[in-house]
Amino acid sequence: MSRVSRKVLTGIAGVVLVTASAASFADRGQWLHYGGNDRSNTRYSELKQIKTSNVHKLKVAWMHSLGSLETQESTPLVVGDTMYVTTSTGPRYVFALDAKTGKTKWAHQPEMPNDYFATVCCGLDNRGVAYSNGKIFFGRLDAKLVALDANTGKKLWTTTVENYRNGHAITSPPLIVNNLVVTGIAGGEYGIRGFIAAYDQETGEEVWKTYTIPGPGEPGNETWKGDSWKTGAGSTWGVGSYDPKLNMIYWSTSNAGPWGGHTRSIDSSEFGDLTNKWTASQLAFDADTGAIKWGYQFTPNDVWDYDGINEAVLYDLKIGGRTVPALMHADRNGFFYVLNRATGELISADPFVTVNWATHIDLKTGRPVEAANNEKRPQLGKWARNVCPNLIGGKNWSPMAYNPDTGLVYLPAFNMCMDIANKEEEYTPGRFYLASEFNLDMSGASGDHLAEFMAWDPVKKEKAWVINEDLPFVSGAMTTAGGLVFYGNQHGMLKAVNAKTGKVLWEFDVGTGIIQSPMTYTVDGKQYLAVVAGRSKGPPSFFGKIGQRVVDASPEGGILVVFEL
Amino acid sequence: MKPFSGLFTPAVVLAAGLFVLPLAASAADAELVNPYAGREDIVEEGGSLLNQYCSHCHGPWAVQGERPRDLRRLNLRYGDYAMSTFYTTVQNGRPPKGMPPWKGILEDDIVWKIYTFLQSVQVED
Repeated sequence: MSRVSRKVLTGIAGVVLVTASAASFADRGQWLHYGGNDRSNTRYSELKQIKTSNVHKLKVAWMHSLGSLETQESTPLVVGDTMYVTTSTGPRYVFALDAKTGKTKWAHQPEMPNDYFATVCCGLDNRGVAYSNGKIFFGRLDAKLVALDANTGKKLWTTTVENYRNGHAITSPPLIVNNLVVTGIAGGEYGIRGFIAAYDQETGEEVWKTYTIPGPGEPGNETWKGDSWKTGAGSTWGVGSYDPKLNMIYWSTSNAGPWGGHTRSIDSSEFGDLTNKWTASQLAFDADTGAIKWGYQFTPNDVWDYDGINEAVLYDLKIGGRTVPALMHADRNGFFYVLNRATGELISADPFVTVNWATHIDLKTGRPVEAANNEKRPQLGKWARNVCPNLIGGKNWSPMAYNPDTGLVYLPAFNMCMDIANKEEEYTPGRFYLASEFNLDMSGASGDHLAEFMAWDPVKKEKAWVINEDLPFVSGAMTTAGGLVFYGNQHGMLKAVNAKTGKVLWEFDVGTGIIQSPMTYTVDGKQYLAVVAGRSKGPPSFFGKIGQRVVDASPEGGILVVFEL
Repeated sequence: MKPFSGLFTPAVVLAAGLFVLPLAASAADAELVNPYAGREDIVEEGGSLLNQYCSHCHGPWAVQGERPRDLRRLNLRYGDYAMSTFYTTVQNGRPPKGMPPWKGILEDDIVWKIYTFLQSVQVED
């Protein structure tokens, strides 16, 4: 029965499927990692039952309450016929659900201290789990890494990655690499020293740990003033990517801490070699040893909170007649970067939003050329006015998607600027350490709309189309072989868009804001679309009246909605 | 308008044993003095300090949308206990709600300047 319907529903592709094994079809219908079915973070699905011509027929199949009201940032995984989804607040729950009906198979409630809330900077989130060999792995806001039995939810081990009381936290799912589970760490606002660490999947024992900021005697330590490297941040709160052929892990790092550049470099654009490596950087690690293979710094001596943790999307692109093993990254600093992921060579860097803190990136040196006379660089006691983009960035963590059929990247962008100044401040463990003051209550240069959902051509280095959004914090993107892109906004509208043209084909109001990208999967040969919704709660507080509009746009919430044709 | 005015000063409430208010009741509360009370020349500096230390949750110039952490509603919510509730909460924090304790980190001088700013932006309802 199911075999027949697969053939019918997939049309021409069904011919191929007859010769392929049933397992390979099922594999393609899964969502095995945070960023899609592999670890390249494309958020591209080969599924195409739901397509441009029928997407308007989508209707709700089932729903599930997430049981918490903080910002919902989880991407569910689907392994076989089971969906694994976490909720916000730490997470409050990890659920295993029947992916066809929504029926709960098991629920895990972590036992967590009630004071970790005070050392998490920007919302009590959790972005989901990782799966490998019958085990579920997730990090917690109290900086612990946990393994569960995927079938029963039984806890297998708990490892303390760091001490949450001095600002460490885990917000994003770990990365599965061979027999390892690799996690990043949050806490850049609290003066931590960033790292990624790998643990044995069976035992939870640490295998390697690599700091993003070199210690004394290591190359790069000399890029820091005095002892400032000890509290220099370079956190790794986003997700990693993995290239199995190169056996390289890609993780990028937060801005340097504290934000005030006078504390750790020269307080001017003429800072020479005091670049604060490897903050606001893309790093490539050897998966077996954790050794840094190469690094590229997006924003040397950052003073704008141009936190570089946005995901690395791996895909081989045809550029100038040759195929390049590319790594694509849309940075908070407003530039869209294409790097060679084997070597770290910079291929291109172009503004995808209004950028005025730098005139361009020098492709020879790889360094940004900052606006003249420190005009856009905040200094101790000196305001820089109308700096674009603002500290939430051209793009934040909400992930982009790459569709090889269209050759386009789909990304949620901000259209906002800021005033910012640096201040004196003492470091105290477990307290915010920014040494900065800012005003973000201002729109950007390209109109009154505060955000854009755009298609970006990474080869032509230009926008293909743009949808203006009135409010910031547009959700991440997911794209399919059905010629579609899906995303949502803080009003709670979930949208399906024609991937080629940008035409909105379908909308559905889920009742609370959406910030994480939807995902898609099949069970028994039928395609479903899933979205986790729950309005952003932390970062809007930074934004004054604009943030108030975001909060007013929809009530807080926690809901998983699954759609079918 | 104020819910606890006139007769029901903090001292009277304590003396009567009416522990009707959470968090605010302690012998020292009634003795708290804001050295900058009424000082308009301190308001802007206080706002700037709030922006540096508090705005990440409470909004720049105390403007943000989450009602439970809206510091423009201190007087409305706590009435005559606004000052003592503010001071106690800053000192001890409310860690399970995300507010860290600032005792020994922020000097009283900074705390009172921030409070002086906050008194300039209180809303009526």
